[in-house]
Amino acid sequence: MSTRHLPPGALLAHATRAIEAARAAGATHADACAEGSRAFTVRVHGGAIETLKQSGTLGLGLRVMVDDAVGFASGTDLSPTGLEDLARRAVALARFATPDAANGTPTSAEAGEDFIGDLELFDEAALELSPDAKISMALELERIALSVDPRISRSDGSAVSSSGGSFAIANSNGVARAWEGSSVSAWVVALAEDGPKQQTGVYGVTKRHLADLPSMESLAREAGRRAVARIGARSVPSARVPVLMHPEIAAGWISEMYEAFTGEAVLKKSSWLTEQLGKMIASPLLTLVDDGTLPRGLGSSPYDGEGLRTRRNLLIDRGRCVSFAYDHYHARRAKTAPTGNGIRGFGSTPGIGFHNLYVENGTTSPQVLLSQMDRGFYYDDQGSFGFNPVTGDYSYQAQGFWVEHGEKQFPVDGVTIAGNSLEMLRHIVAVGNDLEWRSSIACPTLLIESMTVSGA
Amino acid sequence: MSDATPLLSESVPRELVAELLAIARSSGADFADVFAEHTVLRGFSYDEKRLKTGSYSVLNGVGVRAVIGEQTGYAYADGFAPADLREAARVAARIARDGAARGAPNAFRVVDSPAPFTLLEPAPLMLDEQSQVAMLRRADDAARGHDGRVREVSISLASSAKRFLIANSDGLWAEDTTYLSRLVVSALALEGDQRQEGFAAAGGCVEASYYERERTPETVAEEAAASAVLLLSAREPEAGSYPVVVCNGWGGVMVHECFGHSMEGDTIRKKSSIRATQLGEQVAARGVTIVDSGLIPHSRGSFRVDDEGTPAQRTVLVEDGILVGYLWDRLNAVLTGHAPTGNGRRASYRDYPLCRMTNTYIEPGTQSPDELIASVKRGLYCKRLGGGSVSPADGNFSFQVTEAWRIEDGKLTHPVRNATLAGNGNDAMLRIDGVANDLAIDGTTGSCGKDGQWKPVGVGQPTVRFSGITVGGTAV
Repeated sequence: MSTRHLPPGALLAHATRAIEAARAAGATHADACAEGSRAFTVRVHGGAIETLKQSGTLGLGLRVMVDDAVGFASGTDLSPTGLEDLARRAVALARFATPDAANGTPTSAEAGEDFIGDLELFDEAALELSPDAKISMALELERIALSVDPRISRSDGSAVSSSGGSFAIANSNGVARAWEGSSVSAWVVALAEDGPKQQTGVYGVTKRHLADLPSMESLAREAGRRAVARIGARSVPSARVPVLMHPEIAAGWISEMYEAFTGEAVLKKSSWLTEQLGKMIASPLLTLVDDGTLPRGLGSSPYDGEGLRTRRNLLIDRGRCVSFAYDHYHARRAKTAPTGNGIRGFGSTPGIGFHNLYVENGTTSPQVLLSQMDRGFYYDDQGSFGFNPVTGDYSYQAQGFWVEHGEKQFPVDGVTIAGNSLEMLRHIVAVGNDLEWRSSIACPTLLIESMTVSGA
Repeated sequence: MSDATPLLSESVPRELVAELLAIARSSGADFADVFAEHTVLRGFSYDEKRLKTGSYSVLNGVGVRAVIGEQTGYAYADGFAPADLREAARVAARIARDGAARGAPNAFRVVDSPAPFTLLEPAPLMLDEQSQVAMLRRADDAARGHDGRVREVSISLASSAKRFLIANSDGLWAEDTTYLSRLVVSALALEGDQRQEGFAAAGGCVEASYYERERTPETVAEEAAASAVLLLSAREPEAGSYPVVVCNGWGGVMVHECFGHSMEGDTIRKKSSIRATQLGEQVAARGVTIVDSGLIPHSRGSFRVDDEGTPAQRTVLVEDGILVGYLWDRLNAVLTGHAPTGNGRRASYRDYPLCRMTNTYIEPGTQSPDELIASVKRGLYCKRLGGGSVSPADGNFSFQVTEAWRIEDGKLTHPVRNATLAGNGNDAMLRIDGVANDLAIDGTTGSCGKDGQWKPVGVGQPTVRFSGITVGGTAV
């Protein structure tokens, strides 16, 4: 166990050996996905280290096809006998599966030319950030968050972590691809006293490169600001009002909506977009993109989990639903081309997922959007459950601010906010110009003409 | 399919464990533990009338923890190679700096607490591939046969067999094996341009015969199908705050989120929970008693010893409305002068233990569930709940209610879909104003997330009435 992850070439050698083992065990087709990563996380609480954790993973998943039926096995023993065991088990399980001509792995022709260029996914400086440097960064995060306002009496901790990892894909058609990436992240939770209650302010960022991480001071001040802004929050009477969605809330919504754009949901008719391809489903102000090729993107990679080149896919083009996302299997089922959205970890078979999902920037600043709001809700925090992936129905516990005459009047909690995604998409009346990448999902501020706030 | 898994004490012998504990305390840590695990996960997924795939995964390795005061160092290695384990122990030891080596651990004493229940023929061991595939096909037939509007059915059957070993520098040594199994059915119903999905599940730490005697594939499939079809004709909820009656069993996810998380010892010690200062105070209506117990037979949340080797126990949190006790893992118990309550749990050897719930539930009252519904003039009866969440520091919670009924003049009038319940836990617990006599604990399917670690849990309650909760909806 070293502090570095296994290099991509060494990982690819494991994946290639797994394919040989699968063939020897009787597989007609196979693909292997191997992952090797190392991470180190520092958590701080109350001015002292709370935990130091080193993580290291090395694992391989083997998908085999025997006469068009699929079996899968994964494990962490990459020795020759370990790989033989996985191959034997995967082939044995395939005998129970239903043969399906759409099963397969990409051919060299489908996989295309190797990616040439640099997505800048890997940063040596992120990996070289020492444990002591992380400790002092986390201590600084907490210390500054506590200094933002006298009402911030404690934190719920801060953390700084970095990781490096390699990913390799090999299949029985000769496709063999590997790459590596890094990430570094920091977050802090400030707690503000509010009479018998307590208010939470959470803020954090994850980046590929250390140099792209904002200053600890700016992160800490934002967390502190959020906690203090909630003090005195109260409920409001139920009403249908315009809603200004903070970028974090808007990003949460587009990531929940993504499932409806997957070829799997569309084929099963479990998507509320099943009949909508080519139709106007949103305001012409809205363009939704998934792009696996953004330089330094947290969700970027040269290839997807089946070894296919990633691309920029337009999902909504100025309001029109223009494409769905596919892995290799569902693309064959739908008689279309895969879109580079086969996503997997070593422990599972591929599924359809996004890389970097975002809404293109609009032209108006969020401050102007707020100032033009006569009466409505500024929606900037929510609970974790509230989306129905089959209907697009949306209903979340919400926090934010009541707005009148273009100004925030007071903080609000104890309410829910509800609507239906198709209606919400059509009633986007403005898109902000504040797109900012803090994870693999990003969205500018959105103004929605009307949603139901449910309260006291 | 009886795969002989190696005994963990063969892969990680006592001498090696003792050496790892000594390394972990070589620079001054006052406590260390070693957690070794070998887990086999198996699953079949059945979808679109196809058995899509069968899967088999092994997860094995060792995690080493070193503790000094409030500080924890943790590192793990996949597999059991002694050199990797020693390196993990050296990394964990670095939490303490410049201190003296604490030497060898105490002599090991095996924890011999009795198991809360025994499995004679655990489902994960006894159901072979053919029987599992047959169960999936039966569920698919039953869901589709229930109603012609059921157009798609997705079913998964998953099991785990987890062997683990925990040893610490105090000399504790415990080994155990846990078996979990879970069948989940989702049914999609279509009618015109309406599209609705229904879910149902079965499982827990169950015998193979459970799927024939207690919850058959047909029962589960028909529940999912019936829910999907019912939702086709359901109405949107009325927005506002009004009385809500929550079903027994899985309805206990409310008390798990609204209350249980804020009772976990880490948030109590650090005073980030609003409950930290409420010992001895009234936190719920009189008549409400809340318990966490790792001893509930056949629940996913039960075990003989927790992931620190502490025997499972029954812990009363609230007695007749008064807060009487908290949940403790070892670290937070030691730091606050309490005894651990068997709530130190970790997702796997890749994680250090956290203070977590096991099976958390409200004890039964005296009223009948029908009386509770009949007492509501205008409100909502929540029959099936989906996921829920809480922010423990501020107490804001929410739940998705997948299937509800409108109550008018004490009667259930029509089905309601897409209701979300929201509020503050502090306030909501005081608004419980009716507890029925029909306690049920659902240990089939719950998974609780905390700090990125997912653990199986059970939740439960009798039918409960809240005097008022904010219900999200689109109708004003």
